[in-house]
Amino acid sequence: MKSVYAAVAAIGIALPAIAIADPPQSPTMDPDKPVHCQRDRTGEVWRIQCDDAKRVCLYAPDAELDADGNRVHPLERVRDCAEADGFDRDRLEKAGYQFVPGRADAPWGWSRDERGRVFQVNFDLHKRMYFGVGYAPQKIIENPLQSTRTSIDFGLLVLDLYDRGDTTRHRIRLLQGEVNMEPFSADVTLAHYDMSHRFTDPLFRVTTFFGEPARHDLHLNLGMFTEAGGLELRQTPYGNTELWKHATAQVTLDLWQSADLESFVRLRTGGILEGQSDPVNGYRSALTESTALDVDMTLDPAGFHNLRFELAHELPRYFTPYVPNVLVQRMRAKLQYEQIILAINDQPISLNFSAGGEKRNDIPGVPDQWAFVVDAGLRFSLWAPPHAR
Amino acid sequence: MIDTAQRLALRRGPASLGLAAAVAALAGVAHADPCTGISSGGSRFAACFDPGNRLELSGATIGLSPGQAALGGELALRHDITFEDEPDLVWKMSHELLDVEYAPEAGRFDGLLYRGIFVRHSRDGHIVLPTDPPKKVFLPFDIGAFVEVGRFETHSPALASLGIVETAALVDLARSHSQRFRLAVGPSGSWRVDLDRMPVALADHAITPFSSLLLDMHGESDDGLLVAELRGEAGYVWHLDRGWQLEERAEASLERTILAVNDRPIAVYADVRYESAYSETIAGVGVRLALFSRHDPRVSLDPPH
Repeated sequence: MKSVYAAVAAIGIALPAIAIADPPQSPTMDPDKPVHCQRDRTGEVWRIQCDDAKRVCLYAPDAELDADGNRVHPLERVRDCAEADGFDRDRLEKAGYQFVPGRADAPWGWSRDERGRVFQVNFDLHKRMYFGVGYAPQKIIENPLQSTRTSIDFGLLVLDLYDRGDTTRHRIRLLQGEVNMEPFSADVTLAHYDMSHRFTDPLFRVTTFFGEPARHDLHLNLGMFTEAGGLELRQTPYGNTELWKHATAQVTLDLWQSADLESFVRLRTGGILEGQSDPVNGYRSALTESTALDVDMTLDPAGFHNLRFELAHELPRYFTPYVPNVLVQRMRAKLQYEQIILAINDQPISLNFSAGGEKRNDIPGVPDQWAFVVDAGLRFSLWAPPHAR
Repeated sequence: MIDTAQRLALRRGPASLGLAAAVAALAGVAHADPCTGISSGGSRFAACFDPGNRLELSGATIGLSPGQAALGGELALRHDITFEDEPDLVWKMSHELLDVEYAPEAGRFDGLLYRGIFVRHSRDGHIVLPTDPPKKVFLPFDIGAFVEVGRFETHSPALASLGIVETAALVDLARSHSQRFRLAVGPSGSWRVDLDRMPVALADHAITPFSSLLLDMHGESDDGLLVAELRGEAGYVWHLDRGWQLEERAEASLERTILAVNDRPIAVYADVRYESAYSETIAGVGVRLALFSRHDPRVSLDPPH
């Protein structure tokens, strides 16, 4: 009952009520150990799991309970258990086993409360659809009064393909982007695919003979990065500019990879086929050399803390000269931290903080200096299943 | 839908699966009757349809007076994603692709590349707070999302609009296990551009940073012969050239299947659309023909052996 009162309080007076401490939760059965089912004298089924080392057996009802303790639903996301499998409670009690109330086990990435209700506690934000809204006070060095921006961001499909034990992770993104207001700007990418691979054989190995001989392997974990249909829109004193990144192709070198390839630090370099249009110069095409450092880290096993960083440099080579005797270039950096704060029906809502800067001289009317933006917002994600175990 | 027999099988294992399948099969025959008609000659025909899974063509007259002919078409798909270990959880996925309507006399073309409505229906709605241990607060609704990509509309010989993306977080109060009913509401965010048509040029950007409220209602009769939909949206939209504007948009439709040819339904429909941003109200009445239509699973066209 106490948890119900806490729920009512939470809805009524918002989050601080949740801080009301519940009594200590009963222990949970181990999802990797066998569980037995047995009927009591009234015919109700109970789930039982025994620990032979501790001589303790946990027992829990084989059903979800209502607030009054009545059995109301079958348990969800629970393993089958056999009733007639030779489990002998009387023999165990005579042998000194202690029977303690517990909670039925839940699969990896899920938890179960005292009433047996299951809920997700591990989220893979690399498999989701998301959209969010942010507030971004902007400070430009020469325009300190320009300080209000609101933004929306979206990703219609974020999908990493990876199975435990794979040496390759494929990353697919569809229609991902961000639109800022006042001043207006937009960055959208229609389709993205990149791939990380772990090469098990070293490129070469070095053996050192200082003291004990030791072997040091050097791996060259190469991958690829591609995008199609990129669009950047910027507002300038002369009007709106468009930068169409028709196609991007880059080679990646992973400087560091996590065991499941979800987190990485990598360098990438390659080319972009692009077209740019502004009110002063009209349309011009370019082949652009681009290089970037990417960091993408999931900081905890449950996926609640996520960090991303990008530092990119682009050198457009226009087919028709744009500004003579000037090296035209674009630089940008963005640091982003996303933390899941709650989940509604197992769909996470996260806080998103980001700080970024951009310096470019390819657009007339935009000062050739760094402009910085910080941004804080909320994101709603759909799907986000538990990480692969 | 997973019935008691299947649930029993899931809990008891493979031995009970056969029994459950037999029970389910018997139940299927019993339920097939209302959806399977039998002619005087003994031929069987479909009496129920699935309006969410079809490739359709439509012909309509649009505008109030005088009417102008319009042709259109759409591919609609919907399906459920279910889970063996959580039988009361279902993802209801509804997709509409290439929804187009062309009125040559009016020089009007409206098209939609993709619209998706995804609703996660579970027995218990809840919020999980990431405390240690995590806490669960129960809520009486399902949640979901609305997504629309590539909505193009011509409003006049000089003006068109392209909705690049629109999304909304939905709260579904209907909490129906099937896809026949939906009463969803939620904040919506979108990015739309207005286009000058002569010459083609970007005229304006309109952004809704989740400052609009979207209402989405859908209802179908059990046999799928009657379908009603209402979608409305109202809120503040920021325009690049004129700042914040209050805008409303609504569309409603009613469809009734009146006959079927070779078990492919033909329906009459009426719809009306209002959009304050372009001071536009368009009504239409027409006929909709399903070129391909998925049979309602309760229809049994093969005679029992």
